[in-house]
Amino acid sequence: MNSQEHTDVINAKEKTLRQQFDQSAAVRSVIKQFYIYVVLALIVLVLSVVKLDQVSLFGRGSFLSPDSLINLLRSSVPILTLSAPFTLLMISGYIDLSVGSAMSLSAVVFAWLILNGFSFLPTLGLTLILGIVLGSFNGLLVMKLRITPVIATLVTLNLFKGIALLIVPNNLSAIKGSAQQPMPAWINDYGRQEVFLGLPWAFWIGVLMIIVLIIVQRRTLLGKYAAAIGGNRTAAELSGINAVKYVWVLYIVLGLCAALAGMARASYMSLGDPLSGDGMETNCIIAVLLGGTSFSGGEGSVAKTIIGALIIVCVTVGLLTVIPAYWQTVAKGTVLIVAVVLNHLLVREKVKA
Amino acid sequence: MALTENVLEIRDLVKDFPGVRAVNNVSFDIKRNTVHCLVGENGAGKSTLIKILTGAYMRTSGLIRLNGEEYNPHSTRDAKQKGISTLFQELNVVDQLTIEENLTLGMEDTTFGFLRHTDKINKIVGVMNSIEPSLKPRQLVSSLSVAKKQIVEIAKAVAAESNIIIMDEPTAAISESEIARLFTIIKNLRATNVTVIYISHRLDEIFEIGDYVTVMRDGMHVETKPVSQIQDRSELIKMMIGKTVFEQYTPREGHCEDTILQVKHLSNHQLSDVSFDVHAGEIAGFYGLVGAGKTELARAIYGADAYEGDILFKGKKLQLGPDKAIASGIALVPEERRSQGLFTILTIRSNVPVMNMAKISRGGFINSAMERSATLEYVQKLKIATNSIEKEAAKLSGGNQQKVVLSKCLFADADLLMLDEPTRGIDVGAKSEIYSLIRQLSKEGKTIMIFSSELPEIMNICDSIYLMYDGRLKATLRNGCDIDSEKILHIVTGGE
Amino acid sequence: MENKLERKPAVSTKLSDESFITFFMIGVLIVLFVLACFVVPNFYRTQNMINLVTNNWFYIVLGIGVSFLLITGNFDMSVGGNIALTAVLSVYFCQAATGSPNDLANGLGLPYPVAIGLALLCAMSVGALNAFFIARLKVPSIIVTLGTMMLARGTAQVVTEGAQRNTSLPDVFGMLGSMGIPGTTIKLAVLVMLALVIIALIVEKRTVFGRRIYLIGANPKAARLSGISVERYLTALYILSALLAGIAGILLASEFRSGMSGQATGYEFDALVISLLGGVSIAGGFGSVGGMFVGALILAVVKSSATGLLLSPNWQFTLKGIVTFIAIIAQRYALDKRRG
Repeated sequence: MNSQEHTDVINAKEKTLRQQFDQSAAVRSVIKQFYIYVVLALIVLVLSVVKLDQVSLFGRGSFLSPDSLINLLRSSVPILTLSAPFTLLMISGYIDLSVGSAMSLSAVVFAWLILNGFSFLPTLGLTLILGIVLGSFNGLLVMKLRITPVIATLVTLNLFKGIALLIVPNNLSAIKGSAQQPMPAWINDYGRQEVFLGLPWAFWIGVLMIIVLIIVQRRTLLGKYAAAIGGNRTAAELSGINAVKYVWVLYIVLGLCAALAGMARASYMSLGDPLSGDGMETNCIIAVLLGGTSFSGGEGSVAKTIIGALIIVCVTVGLLTVIPAYWQTVAKGTVLIVAVVLNHLLVREKVKA
Repeated sequence: MALTENVLEIRDLVKDFPGVRAVNNVSFDIKRNTVHCLVGENGAGKSTLIKILTGAYMRTSGLIRLNGEEYNPHSTRDAKQKGISTLFQELNVVDQLTIEENLTLGMEDTTFGFLRHTDKINKIVGVMNSIEPSLKPRQLVSSLSVAKKQIVEIAKAVAAESNIIIMDEPTAAISESEIARLFTIIKNLRATNVTVIYISHRLDEIFEIGDYVTVMRDGMHVETKPVSQIQDRSELIKMMIGKTVFEQYTPREGHCEDTILQVKHLSNHQLSDVSFDVHAGEIAGFYGLVGAGKTELARAIYGADAYEGDILFKGKKLQLGPDKAIASGIALVPEERRSQGLFTILTIRSNVPVMNMAKISRGGFINSAMERSATLEYVQKLKIATNSIEKEAAKLSGGNQQKVVLSKCLFADADLLMLDEPTRGIDVGAKSEIYSLIRQLSKEGKTIMIFSSELPEIMNICDSIYLMYDGRLKATLRNGCDIDSEKILHIVTGGE
Repeated sequence: MENKLERKPAVSTKLSDESFITFFMIGVLIVLFVLACFVVPNFYRTQNMINLVTNNWFYIVLGIGVSFLLITGNFDMSVGGNIALTAVLSVYFCQAATGSPNDLANGLGLPYPVAIGLALLCAMSVGALNAFFIARLKVPSIIVTLGTMMLARGTAQVVTEGAQRNTSLPDVFGMLGSMGIPGTTIKLAVLVMLALVIIALIVEKRTVFGRRIYLIGANPKAARLSGISVERYLTALYILSALLAGIAGILLASEFRSGMSGQATGYEFDALVISLLGGVSIAGGFGSVGGMFVGALILAVVKSSATGLLLSPNWQFTLKGIVTFIAIIAQRYALDKRRG
């Protein structure tokens, strides 16, 4: 076989390989787009079919009954509120492991303010400002001081958690009402009181945030720049984008949403628990992984992450009813590893041309 | 403001680096709305000149006038604002965004942060349509071929109202038909008030697309001429080589006939069907310009990249993986010394013995005395300028860093030593030291393969010369007094 | 112009950056210690100083594995969970098969050496799992090890039904935990820790294995091109880290004569903190186990001062955060200053 023929064979081989790759890429792309809805549907199906009548949580024992659905959605408020901005941050190539602690701290501060007589607007204002401050601090550490995001946010995780624990008086486990100083009942207004379709303000605000962030991701400069910075930071900066500024904003938004999530939790439980946000960052990571976000940045979808968050809630709440509490951790760990595998299979780096 | 005839005027431009003058009093003009080609061998100073134009480097002295006004950019952003865009070999597009999003990146119109679809976008997309109508704005850039991505970058530069677009080896990674398309685009650009500075070593392209050509050599300006006034390739080649006197190559006696390396039908994404043999004890030179595939060939043989085909070393089939190559007796001095060859935050002493730890250790324990003496030995042998082997490698000059990487590979006591651009960035004095070292090693029986884009280097010391172009092995020559450097340059620039 | 060599280059006695940072942190330790002696009542007592080491031996053991991995640029957050897993399993495997209706009182009745051997194997399999995802599939280590941490601890929780196992244990079970230098608080575990630290220091400074860890961290690409199998080394390190956690787990279980599912909660973060305090950098290729040891002492002084000042245990988190932050900034500043 002379050189020309050999080259032709190679070219032909390459062409068939490329065709096969394109075909499988097309199939993969379809799977990638829709698998998450399939997964969610499957889980709902499974949970509906399994007999849950032993457990009071589900009233008449049906997963899809309005009561249990409302319960489900209500307990999903924090993860829904947090995973949307978390996705945007991941798209830009950065991470924040302190979201859980920021949520706890906000919950504690919120409860403390109400317990000590602050009225609604100041409480709301101060808590939200707290969220912004916490987010700015993360942004400072990561973007200005250029500390590795994982380490910086692990540090703030402990810092925020520590402050939350310190606010709570030593003899108590949380900021809550007592005989001498009862917690005003209106604390429940935000997170527990049924406002529309049996769901509280917190839920609807959460939904609003999600819608806003979906729009931000798809229609605004911030969303586009987040993808640009995560996808190819050099190209982005060469185009004149100030990466430091935009990612800092994303950290602040995340902090703000952490405050909302903390408010929701404190409002629902009528107390400020400094450990209420523990493990939230893991939930966010799982949601984001299931939603097909690449952890190197550039790719991701807030909407899909929300589906992923719903999957987690279904799994958590659903499992809670059938398995003892002490199986929770290993279940969550399994879900995370499974999500990692799924994410790896779906969001693969492109083969070099 | 009346438009000047020359869009760029360069006067006595000088750029010095420690130990070397990369651009040496270069002066020439670039006329408006032309395709102005820049040619020269590697090391001629082209890339440094371009980096000064794009604001990546600051000039040492001299003057540049852009549109008649003094031009002294401090950053790539500066240059961009002044209307100079560059297409580098590494594409600067965001794969995860659509074509339209890439085109408008950094230039969006917004209301309160919301992206607005304005006329501006229509205009920009229109620019792209006029360049390449087959591209749909909503396509993801990741789905495009390299050629199409380049076109997106060009469209972006035009949309940003650049009046100078610099293209650095744009045809290195695209096919024939795509090159034709690119040239049509370039011609259209010229007609729409854009000046293109085109850097390439593919001389046929110069003749096809160029209006003017500037030849550089050894950092100096040789000549700038209209392409129409150049007779043929060989005239250009003569300008590129000039009166460089090649040191006499002395053919060596005692030529060994044993084949130590057999490469059979090697192919991968950059190489096409490369086959050749190397004899034990000889110095084989692989010459070609940017994109020829030299580094890819070296890496494939070393096992750092995957490939199809067979490689037999000392009669046995080579397994994939640098560790297997080293174990069999092959060592590679990589092309990029800082990122691929050196452990910059570690000391010289920690760098040198890396590829042959067995030699300085017993039972897994490092013998510090042996480590130190071995390092000192190489520091002296290669005359690495340092007062201590405890110095961090990052603190050494470029040339000394290269020497450390060389020491590292020499320490591996390999039978086959592959050197990829061994003297890049090294000053003349150190270069000849390295050449004598290579000859010495060959005398000791080692086989050496040099991959280089400097012809004098290859012709100086190599016994056999392999010429590469576009991922293929085009010709093999034995070195001797009848070697024709013009013919060589002809082949490596695409001639037959 | 390049300098011409005038004389043979000497072996310099100038301090490497690494040693500089270690000494810098020793300085910080001394300053903090002196401060504590003044501010904290009863701080300056011999027993207190010994306690700094003996009460924190497990952090240091974990710190060895975590530091090595950090030097290569990777995290291991699964070590705390691994301690719990090993502790619980060592009890479970060893508990007599009493056939009691209470599940938690029923074990596998294996002889003690077999039980701890099996438990260590289980720990190492967690390490292998880490290695598979991180070294082979190239998934970010922070995410994988958070997941395996939950798997490990979760398994411990399942085996203990969320509580602990501590019945029907053979006498030999408590042996390792109660041995030590008579007349002192220095337990066997502390001696094991010291031995491990010394071995780690030797490996780090004097062996080929240790040198290659630094090479991988300093430049993974160059390491690969220099013939180092990065995948194999990372696998070894993750299994080693898991093994160290396993050893700590076995010693702790023996000390308390019980396998608690809540054992070692949060220890992975402490291990990370002491490594960072010791100057180990996530950027890779820099830091020392010796520094980590100093970092452990610093953290111990801080914690002990907090207790001595009658601060509630809740101060731990805030203090850890603040101390780590200051350390990172201070080290960066010191190095920048030094490099000029």
